Amino acid sequence: MTKAEKINPRKETTAGKIGRYLAMALLFGLSVVVLIPLVWTICMALKPDGEVYNGKFFPSVLVWNNFYKAVTSIDFFLYLGNTMKIVVPNVIGQVLSCAVVAYGFARFNFKGKRVWFLILLATMMIPGQVTMIPQFLLYREIGWINTYLPLTVPAFFATSGYNVFLLRSYMSGIPKDFDEAATIDGADPVRIFTTIMLPMCKPVLTAITVFTFMGTWNDFNGPLIYLYDANKYTLSLGLSFFKGLYTSQWNLLMAATVLVMLPILVIFFLAQDYIIDGISISSGTKG
Amino acid sequence: MAKAAAKHRADSIEARQNRYGYAFIMPWLIGLFAFTLIPMAFSLMLSFCKWDIVTGLSTIEFIGTKNYTKIFADKKFYKALEVTFRFCLISIPFYQITSLLIAMLLNMRIKFMRTFRLIFFLPSIIPTIATSMIWAQILGKEGLINQGLKLLGIKGPAWLNTPKTALYGLILMGVWGIGNTMIIYLSGLQGVSEELYEAAEIDGANAFQRFFKITLPMISMTIFFNVVMAIIGSFQYFTQAFVMTEGGPLNSTLFYNLYLYVKAYKELKMGYASALAWIMFIIIMFFTMLTIKSSALWVYASSDDKI
Repeated sequence: MTKAEKINPRKETTAGKIGRYLAMALLFGLSVVVLIPLVWTICMALKPDGEVYNGKFFPSVLVWNNFYKAVTSIDFFLYLGNTMKIVVPNVIGQVLSCAVVAYGFARFNFKGKRVWFLILLATMMIPGQVTMIPQFLLYREIGWINTYLPLTVPAFFATSGYNVFLLRSYMSGIPKDFDEAATIDGADPVRIFTTIMLPMCKPVLTAITVFTFMGTWNDFNGPLIYLYDANKYTLSLGLSFFKGLYTSQWNLLMAATVLVMLPILVIFFLAQDYIIDGISISSGTKG
Repeated sequence: MAKAAAKHRADSIEARQNRYGYAFIMPWLIGLFAFTLIPMAFSLMLSFCKWDIVTGLSTIEFIGTKNYTKIFADKKFYKALEVTFRFCLISIPFYQITSLLIAMLLNMRIKFMRTFRLIFFLPSIIPTIATSMIWAQILGKEGLINQGLKLLGIKGPAWLNTPKTALYGLILMGVWGIGNTMIIYLSGLQGVSEELYEAAEIDGANAFQRFFKITLPMISMTIFFNVVMAIIGSFQYFTQAFVMTEGGPLNSTLFYNLYLYVKAYKELKMGYASALAWIMFIIIMFFTMLTIKSSALWVYASSDDKI
């Protein structure tokens, strides 16, 4: 008796069994195909300079020093610091502002609430390109170009409708009894928000933290438009800049690429369930 | 007397709800006007204006529909539309079918399902810039793809430097990152009741019949969502083309959004670019609406989950 048969009392046919083994073989084959580009990247990152174009998959010796060379020639730590200067305010700003706004939508019956919430959902449909140019001109008038302000300040105004939507659904699921008990004890809404709501929303807040971190870390368009000085570049920008300079040194380029994606991979493995559930929810097929 | 007091209390509760409600949503309200509504109005106005980036607001000049008429006579605009639509037409069926097939394999009761799911999802979380770097190399003359082709005795081109193959190179790269779409299909498939399949099996339906008569109708909402997202995504395609091909060679990968960027930030034609942005917005809205309207014909909605 295998485990699958115990779960499924239906007796499995031989055809079904063969099908399952075929599927598994197919998945295994496809997994290898999916992983090859990553393995190839790592192999390339470790190749000695002379082997970059030799057409072999694996390096003859592992040149770990490539990572050191990549970090020093690309100014990695400067760009890392710059990236964090954008990532940290974005995470704090989105988490705080979206939670506050979601609380307003989840718990108060104010006039026009329905209309405002519909507008919030509708704004998720507007492509960023429509607002990008006027925003740029506006920031230019107030001297924010070539600073991190255009890339961080908006995060404090709940600009992600998706985050607000996610948090509001979660908060609406928390029984109002908690609020009422706290109100009887003399707590005002602000206190209820900070001492009851925020702690109870921890799972969604974690998901939003992860999404915002990844989104901001990966952002290319924003920094490209707003940052001119090379010493203000983020990792994404720095890497594309580096590509222009060292077109033939693919081993160093790949070493730098591995370093840029490493934090994202680590976060992914730590928070995979949050990420995968978040994506399923976004499609409305779950939750 | 008591009635008046109760009414007064009700009023104050209502006032309180209004006060607190608006106080809490205030950050979003400010952001809505500052970062969305006012810029949108400004953008619409700009699309009918000529704007000199150096002198700024003081020399803004109303030129009517000139930007739009110029765009409709602009060969590069049509090229950008062609590239984007060609990308849509090829990549959407390709990505949707591939991700649905993988999702169906993953939906079988299979050992290591979690590991497989992670592997297929993994490439989609890799930063776009990193993916672009990796594939710029894989699609190179001595890259991984051509090494594979060499084993078959085929001499492959430098994919991204050849006008005929550049777009296909990007499409091939994209299939690596379909993890998102796949996860959404998987959760759609998991929502299909097992009983339907069992009943069909008892009635003697074969695997193909089960797929076309049960699976497809039951996940039609999910297909709909993924297709709409894919259309929007194609019009916003930027980083890969910017980093890997810069729209070339011979404009063969001049995606719409890339053209918009060039007009706005390379040529500094802000009015023209704003008009391009509005045309893009209208095209996206048109296709979203078309998909929504047509969905009545092909999307199965049970009575409790109508859109």
